[in-house]
Amino acid sequence: MGALTWARLSFRQQRWELILVVIGVAAVAAAMLYFATTLDGMRAASPECLANLDTFVDDGSGPAASCQAVLNSYYEAYNWGTNFVNLAWLAPFGMGVILGAPLVAREIDGGTAQLAWSLSRSRVGWLLRRIAFVTLFGLGLLAVVTVMSGLLTGAMFPEKTLGEDFIYFGRRDLPVVARGFGALMVGVLVGAIVGRVLPAILLSVLVIGLVFTGLSFAHDQWNRGEARVQRFYDDSGTSIPFDMSGLDVGYGLQRPNGEFLSYGDAYASGILIETYQDEQGRVYASMADMDAGRLVGHDARSSIPGERYPDLVLRDSGVAVLVGVVALGLTAVVVRRRRPR
Amino acid sequence: MTVTDPVLEARELAKRYRRGVWALGGIDLALPAGGITALVGPNAAGKSTLIKTWVGFEKPTRGSVRVAGIDPWKDRSGALAKLGYVPQSPALYDGLSVEDHLDLARQLRPGFDRDYARNRLAQLDIPADRGARDLSGGQQAQVALALALGTRAPILLLDEPLASLDPLARREFLHVLTDAVRGDGATALLSSHIVTDVEQSCDRLIVLGVGKVLLNESVAAALESHAISLTDRPDAVATFAAPDGSRIWLVRGDGDRAATLDEVVLGYLASGRPSLASTPAA
Repeated sequence: MGALTWARLSFRQQRWELILVVIGVAAVAAAMLYFATTLDGMRAASPECLANLDTFVDDGSGPAASCQAVLNSYYEAYNWGTNFVNLAWLAPFGMGVILGAPLVAREIDGGTAQLAWSLSRSRVGWLLRRIAFVTLFGLGLLAVVTVMSGLLTGAMFPEKTLGEDFIYFGRRDLPVVARGFGALMVGVLVGAIVGRVLPAILLSVLVIGLVFTGLSFAHDQWNRGEARVQRFYDDSGTSIPFDMSGLDVGYGLQRPNGEFLSYGDAYASGILIETYQDEQGRVYASMADMDAGRLVGHDARSSIPGERYPDLVLRDSGVAVLVGVVALGLTAVVVRRRRPR
Repeated sequence: MTVTDPVLEARELAKRYRRGVWALGGIDLALPAGGITALVGPNAAGKSTLIKTWVGFEKPTRGSVRVAGIDPWKDRSGALAKLGYVPQSPALYDGLSVEDHLDLARQLRPGFDRDYARNRLAQLDIPADRGARDLSGGQQAQVALALALGTRAPILLLDEPLASLDPLARREFLHVLTDAVRGDGATALLSSHIVTDVEQSCDRLIVLGVGKVLLNESVAAALESHAISLTDRPDAVATFAAPDGSRIWLVRGDGDRAATLDEVVLGYLASGRPSLASTPAA
């Protein structure tokens, strides 16, 4: 009973933001569902044109003339689907800005913090209760987004096993919800510090952007350490099948000693000034080197194999949740210490 | 703590804001239990700051405060349990109805007496289902008061709740406050800069100058011990202009006529701020 009352009161205190977010999520989820069913339907209706589409495109044989119209429609829906899956990447940050930033800021800005903080014996207790409903509500909505995003990704890539594939990594599954928690808490922290709704919203865009850009760089560094180097051709010049399920970390050279070097680093360090490459993916620094067989390395790709997807989902989600927990802790400190207005 | 111990204390309390402005300059104050005390002073005298340090909203720069013997900065929870607070502008939640506010208070404050608060509002014909934004200023103040009274806290701190109310709403507010405080045996501190409003409701008077306590005694004693002299007296507390433009002197002891509470307050404010002495009363 108490929880229901609190949920009702929490909803009413922030109803317009919550309604706005519900409308946004409902629209995006409905669009995702629409394009997922559209793609599935098109494949079922025109198997002769759309079955095994990945092979069909890869082998370069080109579509049958009679399939052109179907393919055009299919790729139009596919492109729309890509746009909506990308919205799943943005949605957590939107939650942080729209729901998180005003949460405490409005209490301070509107003076209601004086009422709430004088009635509640513990400001931290008040804070936890104040954010509980909005957090559950927001994460629930993100769960809807991530389910729909998974559904749409499955419809766009029916040949893939999504549980072991990095396709649209970060735009589906747990990371969407986890980043939502992190962004929400960072938004709440910004609002608690600023204490004014509009500046808090504007500043939270910047802070959330910076925090998660920083995290993205950190993940990239982390991924480099875990990636596996895969050459495009073996020593006999045979093409090595490409692992389409992996997470690309970089393209570059595998040096003769096995070390991976991105092209950018190779140029920056002076190892390469110009690139000469033969048909087997061997890379040379000059024509003379090529003639002499002094190769710099083999054309290679650094990636994390698809079977590691669950590990990275957990790792990235854990980091995002950790960011949220730290932000929540800092918010508690701010709320405990600051004057209400 | 005994019944004679002060319920609200300030010792050497000084508060400086970030811009370097001193709101309180080291005041000592002890408020006995029971009754309504008026905390009177001009704008920027430090009334709100003083009250907010007791609520735990402002941290003293120097000195300390106690609420029923508890330092709110060491035991905020313990101090707040003894307090009901009405903020300066009754900031209610726009999206919530009156009844929602009572529900909210019950959720936030263990032991909040919702029925008591609801009955008080019902007596004033304030509809429970009306949104806070649709209430008049007087009704909003009454809701804020009901929320403070519903805590059934032994100490009530009211930070200029009358400032934005019309005379009728002020009278009604004070009537409810007086009735509740007398009925519950609580202690209330009411800050205001409108002396006439508090004269009939308050038992005690504290005049706060710019960061200093200028007078702290019961209203009866203040009236009994002060008089107006129409001629210059060397022992005068202060001199100031009467409404007719003539100069009058506030003195302790006998004078030419009895002083009104307004004159007592004005005299002490003039003594604390010399510029007032030459300013004719409006």
